[in-house]
Amino acid sequence: MNIKKLGKLALPYLVWMLVLVGIPLLMIFILSFMNTDGVSFAGATWTTAAWEKMFTLADTTNLQILGYTFLTAFVATVICFLIGYPMAYIVARSPFSNKFVILILTIIPMWSNSLLRNVALKNILSESNILDSLLSRIGLSFSIVFANQDQATFISIVIGLVLTFLPFMILPIYTVIEKIDESLLEASMDLGANRVRTFAKVTFPLSMKGVTTGIIMVFLPCFSGFAIQKLLSSGTVYVLGSLIEVNYIHDINFVSMLSIVILVLIFGSMMIVNKVDKEGATLV
Amino acid sequence: MAKKLIELKDITKMYDGTAVVDHINLYINENEFITLLGPSGCGKTTTLRMIGGFEKPDSGEVVMNGAVVNDIPPYERPINTVFQRYALFPHLNVYDNIAFGLRNQKVPKAEIAERVENALKMVSLPNFALRKVANLSGGQMQRVAIARAIVNKPKILLLDEPLAALDLKLRQNMQYELKEMQRKLGITFVYVTHDQEEALTMSDTIVVMKDGVIQQIGTPTGIYNEPKNRFVARFIGESNILDGVYVRQNLVSFMGAEFDCVDTQFADGEPVDVVIRPEDLDIIDAVGAKLIGEVSSSIFRGVHFELCVMVQGKEFVIHTYENRKVGEHVGLRVDSYEIHLMKVEHVEH
Amino acid sequence: MGVRKKEPGRITRYLRRPEVEKVLQSIANVLKYAFFAFFMFLMYLPIIVIAIQSFNESTGLIYQFTGFTFDHWKNVLTFNLDSSLMKAISTTLLVALLATGISTVLGTIIAIGIHSLPQKKRQGMVFLNQVPILNADIITGISLMFVFKIVAEVIPGVFGIPSLLIAHVFFCIPYVVLSVLPKLAELDDNLYDAALDLYCKPAVGITKVIIPAIMPGILTGMLIAFTMSIDDFLISFFNAGQVNNLSIYIYGGYNRRLAPEVYAYNTILSTVIIVALIAMYVSSSLKKRKNLKREPRHA
Ligand SMILES: Nc1ncnc2c1ncn2[C@@H]1O[C@H](COP(=O)(O)OP(=O)(O)OP(=O)(O)O)[C@@H](O)[C@H]1O
Ligand SMILES: [Mg+2]
Repeated sequence: MNIKKLGKLALPYLVWMLVLVGIPLLMIFILSFMNTDGVSFAGATWTTAAWEKMFTLADTTNLQILGYTFLTAFVATVICFLIGYPMAYIVARSPFSNKFVILILTIIPMWSNSLLRNVALKNILSESNILDSLLSRIGLSFSIVFANQDQATFISIVIGLVLTFLPFMILPIYTVIEKIDESLLEASMDLGANRVRTFAKVTFPLSMKGVTTGIIMVFLPCFSGFAIQKLLSSGTVYVLGSLIEVNYIHDINFVSMLSIVILVLIFGSMMIVNKVDKEGATLV
Repeated sequence: MAKKLIELKDITKMYDGTAVVDHINLYINENEFITLLGPSGCGKTTTLRMIGGFEKPDSGEVVMNGAVVNDIPPYERPINTVFQRYALFPHLNVYDNIAFGLRNQKVPKAEIAERVENALKMVSLPNFALRKVANLSGGQMQRVAIARAIVNKPKILLLDEPLAALDLKLRQNMQYELKEMQRKLGITFVYVTHDQEEALTMSDTIVVMKDGVIQQIGTPTGIYNEPKNRFVARFIGESNILDGVYVRQNLVSFMGAEFDCVDTQFADGEPVDVVIRPEDLDIIDAVGAKLIGEVSSSIFRGVHFELCVMVQGKEFVIHTYENRKVGEHVGLRVDSYEIHLMKVEHVEH
Repeated sequence: MGVRKKEPGRITRYLRRPEVEKVLQSIANVLKYAFFAFFMFLMYLPIIVIAIQSFNESTGLIYQFTGFTFDHWKNVLTFNLDSSLMKAISTTLLVALLATGISTVLGTIIAIGIHSLPQKKRQGMVFLNQVPILNADIITGISLMFVFKIVAEVIPGVFGIPSLLIAHVFFCIPYVVLSVLPKLAELDDNLYDAALDLYCKPAVGITKVIIPAIMPGILTGMLIAFTMSIDDFLISFFNAGQVNNLSIYIYGGYNRRLAPEVYAYNTILSTVIIVALIAMYVSSSLKKRKNLKREPRHA
């Protein structure tokens, strides 16, 4: 469009982003190396205390928390991928003339409050739960029994994360598979590749863009959140986010340091997304 | 004397430090069908956009009816445009697309209805008023785009390759219809194309451009018969172009022989470029001919044969009605009035 | 035809017989859709439980269904809620509606601006725009909190609805921009010029031509913005000051019984959204069908 003059409409946005993204990032970085009183720098000195609090072998509590966080997030992401990819593929390649309906079905859960959904999930995963209470009226029962509390907690958290973030895996993958030109698949078969080979050599590589986005969109919130974990463990489990939650009022330096740990991951993901998806086509 | 409607005076337009349109001078008369012709990227669209007011020249003046209009925005110019790829409004139906300009000019409703209907008839799309533009064929979209422009009764209509997306048959029909329309409406057409045949068929005046510079302005026959330089000669139809020397008045030498000619504006002994159109070369007996060569290929082109004849290592293209076998030795002949001489250009690059 | 391979073995040949292949195909299809349906069902299970809870009469034991009641629904529909829940819900809705409206308008304008930039700058802005989307919510939340803490030194009242609203606008705009940009890219380059050519002033050209042409993108962006805002917990958590939105309210009650009206409210809201969307979809496809029917007469 020849509205070169309209380019200046984007300028305030640049300023807005710099103020709300740039300045805080700078602050996070600086604050993680200081001991300040809130965001006021008066009387503050440089120190690596915040970093030592995390990365010390004298007290590995925080490192263990980091490990546990990573493990839950990783497992949840892998499961999301293993379930989400086939689901996205099935929708995208389904003969249904109306994919809109199926797509809406995928999105509908997102209009229920996600924390409330996890409250409900916790209900289901409890030994005596509402479904059991209902089913018992017709002589059935429903109850999931875990070997021990730790296992129960871990599995509950993973299920909670998976069910909450699964749509974020399905949607970007669906978007790319849907866009793959049918004739490419025909060409591949024409050139002697069977269905499996066609999938491995054509469909899957072409859907990498969506897979990358999906993995990032699932892993990051799993890794950095704390509410779902807290709800499903009744507050017995600490994750990285919980450390932020507990300290965000009193120890901003520690919180800044924790943010940097998360930011390193995010920065990596952004680099990847910017490589595979320049226009952000898979993000909405 | 025709009235000058638009004048471009020494116009230059730069993009990223390079001149896309380079000091061009041009005037357009009332009721003229003028065509900007040139290869892709030569600055045709840019020139057109400066006339339309979508782009401001970096230097020079666009003059309309004697007044400089450089700073007049498009919506205040008595000009309408048929855009490359039409730019129909996708959210409006055919009727609303065509009525768009009239509504913005606050034309009364009844008059709008009448004028839109007439415009639709003009482009032979009656009963299309309520169609969605997205469902139209290329040719129909193109007609709607024309209707949307002419319904405003502009003084000048700018058309940017309006037929480029159509198939050959439809394109030829539309060329004829457009020309008719221009005659009937008495509107000045400024037409952009990179198709030389289209330019030759439709235009009163052709402006040949290359790299933002005007190469030649003239009537179709003038440009075809007397191209000013090698570029124009090559771009307008096929040509055999040879190095020659202007020996003296009415005598030119090339390919080691001397020929009579009718051009006179050169100095004795001056090097010249010699242009001979393929249809102006005749095949004669090799014996006694000034140009003798061997037929290297022959292609049937429907009405004529296209022969290639190698003469002293130089390939001549000849259009002829009688075929010759490949390998055959033939002579070539050309009439003096069909030898066209051009000034040799200083090689710049 | 494909490249010739070596002769297939007996089993392969058997499996390739048309009638066998047909059976295998339909088994595969059943498995495929069973897989899909199963995980779909799992995603819906919590929602089903929420719906059940919204009719659960039980006041004491949360995991027991003691009887069916409409009371919670009635309470929500008559705004008869305990004051903290009432506040949480009204804050959520107020912020969501305002943030959606503001970010839709701003996001559309910004998208038009970004689209009009030369390619290099445009790519830069598109990347910048993705930052809040790709950024973990917790970082966005903390970042904004830092900014508001500084602002609070000058304007003490900033924490609360103002900070919440600004934060929501901040993370909603990128979704609108991302939804609108591809629609702009689809437009004919000359569309805006065509509007000017047909006597529109620049601003009118945008409102009369560009905006309607990109409307589907704007609506999509709006819907995403609303969805994100209404469900947000993390960013709100750090920027709400003393105010609670619904997510914070639910989170705060993680270890006790939630007021049963929460379930009713949630069920009502998602039902309303779904019904509204289906209605919009049906009416638009009816319109389409009507157009198709009408057209042949004019052909
Ligand atoms: N907005 C712009 N920014 C930068 N360069 C431009 C712009 N518009 C045109 N150009 C450049 O100016 C030159 C001339 O472009 P123009 O569109 O006038 O060519 P054209 O003769 O119409 O070609 P075509 O036949 O392909 O339409 C091209 O090299 C083009 O890349
Ligand atoms: Mg052009």
